[in-house]
Amino acid sequence: MDKQQTLAAERRNKAILSVVLAAICILWVLPVVAVVINSFKLNTFVKTDTFALPTSESWAGMANFVKGMTFGNYPFKSSVLYSVVITVLSTGLILVFCSMAAWYIARVDSLFCKALYFLCVFSMVVPFQMVMFTLSKTADVLKLNTPWTIPIVYLGFGAGLAIFMFVGFVKSIPLEIEEAAAIDGCGPVRTFFSVVLPMLKPTLISVGILEIMWVWNDYLLPVLVLDINKYRTIPIHIQYLKGSYGTVDLGATMALILLSIIPVIIFYLACQKHIIKGVAAGAVKG
Amino acid sequence: MAEVSLRHIKKVYPNSERTSKKGLFGRKKADDGARKASSLRITDEGVLAVPDFNLDIADREFVVFVGPSGCGKSTTLRMIAGLEEITDGELYIDGKLMNDVAPKDRDIAMVFQSYALYPHMTVRDNLAFPLKLRKMDKQTIDAKVNEAAETLGITEFLDRKPKALSGGQRQRVAIGRAIVREPKVLLMDEPLSNLDAKLRNQMRAEIIKLRKRIDSTFIYVTHDQTEAMTLGDRIVIMKDGEVQQVGTPQEVFEHPSNLFVAGFIGVPQMNFFDAELVRDGNAYSVHVGDAIVVPSAEKQARLAAQDVASQSITLGIRPEHISLASGDAATLVGTVDVSEMMGSSVHVHLDSLGQDVIVIVPTTEIEGPYQDHFFAGAKVEYAFGGNVIHMFSKDEQGTNLEF
Repeated sequence: MDKQQTLAAERRNKAILSVVLAAICILWVLPVVAVVINSFKLNTFVKTDTFALPTSESWAGMANFVKGMTFGNYPFKSSVLYSVVITVLSTGLILVFCSMAAWYIARVDSLFCKALYFLCVFSMVVPFQMVMFTLSKTADVLKLNTPWTIPIVYLGFGAGLAIFMFVGFVKSIPLEIEEAAAIDGCGPVRTFFSVVLPMLKPTLISVGILEIMWVWNDYLLPVLVLDINKYRTIPIHIQYLKGSYGTVDLGATMALILLSIIPVIIFYLACQKHIIKGVAAGAVKG
Repeated sequence: MAEVSLRHIKKVYPNSERTSKKGLFGRKKADDGARKASSLRITDEGVLAVPDFNLDIADREFVVFVGPSGCGKSTTLRMIAGLEEITDGELYIDGKLMNDVAPKDRDIAMVFQSYALYPHMTVRDNLAFPLKLRKMDKQTIDAKVNEAAETLGITEFLDRKPKALSGGQRQRVAIGRAIVREPKVLLMDEPLSNLDAKLRNQMRAEIIKLRKRIDSTFIYVTHDQTEAMTLGDRIVIMKDGEVQQVGTPQEVFEHPSNLFVAGFIGVPQMNFFDAELVRDGNAYSVHVGDAIVVPSAEKQARLAAQDVASQSITLGIRPEHISLASGDAATLVGTVDVSEMMGSSVHVHLDSLGQDVIVIVPTTEIEGPYQDHFFAGAKVEYAFGGNVIHMFSKDEQGTNLEF
């Protein structure tokens, strides 16, 4: 009897939980939904019927997209190119350098490594706004103000989180595997690339997704550092929809935002299956 | 294919890095049991894991390091492998000084307790990895991998990942990876400890077979004395970093050099009694309880040769050497505490002379149910001959007085 009651209570709790979580999910998805539906609506209807589905009256078709991509005198495809270049280079640099650094930090037990680790962790809590003006000046002097060199700045800002995550994972890899590699004939470099890096795959992907989303969506850093007359990323380009017209073209803005979201979502879905825990399972007695 | 010589090998873990173990960069990271043991000596330099280790291992010999956890056996093995720096002393493999040679250039292979397979590679790639690193051509690699797989019976798993294998299969792969490149020295660090009892027996037999087929020198670390006895040509018994005895399984069993070895080798453990050794000219006798045991002539001669005087001793007798026949001169009486039926024999725990004495009684010598004879509280008379006794000094080392 008691057991039945507990089971019933459990079911009830689960139902309540489902409702609450569903509500949170809806709240969470709402902005994205708003972006999607409004990108197909005429500008005037975006403000008045924000959450209404496009009607025959408010339907704008692809006009918003076309406008977003063609307005002003800066080619949209350059923005896409620069965004892609910066994102790919930055993420690549962060993944390669931080995984190597994290391996060293996790495996070598010295004061230097501890200091380095805490410095990285500390860098995560320093707000960007605190360093941005000195940074933009420094970046100018060091010529880090082009899409080809700004990834170095991103490497610096991304290192904290990346190293923190990599160190945690490397510590969970049994040292015996690396020792086995050393005996089998690997030097440190070979051990890292043939043995450690493949095992880091799930973390590489997790960190990769986080960094890609951050760099791809970042507005403040490129706008401060890059010469925006020459180089514009997609977020900067979107910003110009407001600046150059006096009024904001919300329809076109939504359309461009939607375009910029799509690659990240595709990337996330493609990599999702790789984010599995316990890739090291089977290597040692579990 | 190689002799291994260890000359005055010493290992000290510096104090500042006591909680760490060597990584690939020559520094240290957290280690297993080696430094947890409180019995290790702490000196000014740090924790002394292995004070002075000397051993010559012949070509193709199978040597087993055995001892309780924290005795330095794994540390010594890791020093031979090059995973642990040698603080002092010299390590020779095939006559060449190896102290500062990288693990990969020592021509050794190692099997780890935790298997340490590469999880992202298939079994085939795991086996082929050390060969690829030696830049062998693909055909040779394939041939060698297939041969090793055949030897170990893992051919059907070659295209699986390690996580799809059972413990025994993984251990076979780990052994396969070690033998595939035909190393001079094959090191095994408690390779069977993670397997269940049945599989362990099976793998033990396989290692014996394997050993005949390959030309490597084997160095095997275990804490299991059965493994040591069955596998080793010679056994090295260690305690607190020091070698207690080196000898063939039979030597170690029949002539333990001290109390520790006597207690460590043999299941169930050797029984120990407080006794008096009495010397009368060149004749010796041992007084234990009310009984007097006369050591065999051979033992007496050895005692005389050592010029051993009358003294208090610890007398050791293996449970299988005690008989219940009461005809012998030395007869002692005990009260049955517990009796354990083992199938072919009964282990009878007696309370005798104020301590626990174990006697092994073959079931063939028991009439009717064993409980009728060995119920709790039953009085039992037991005896042992003068040829099977071991006499140890009363000091801290408990050395065997015969040697």
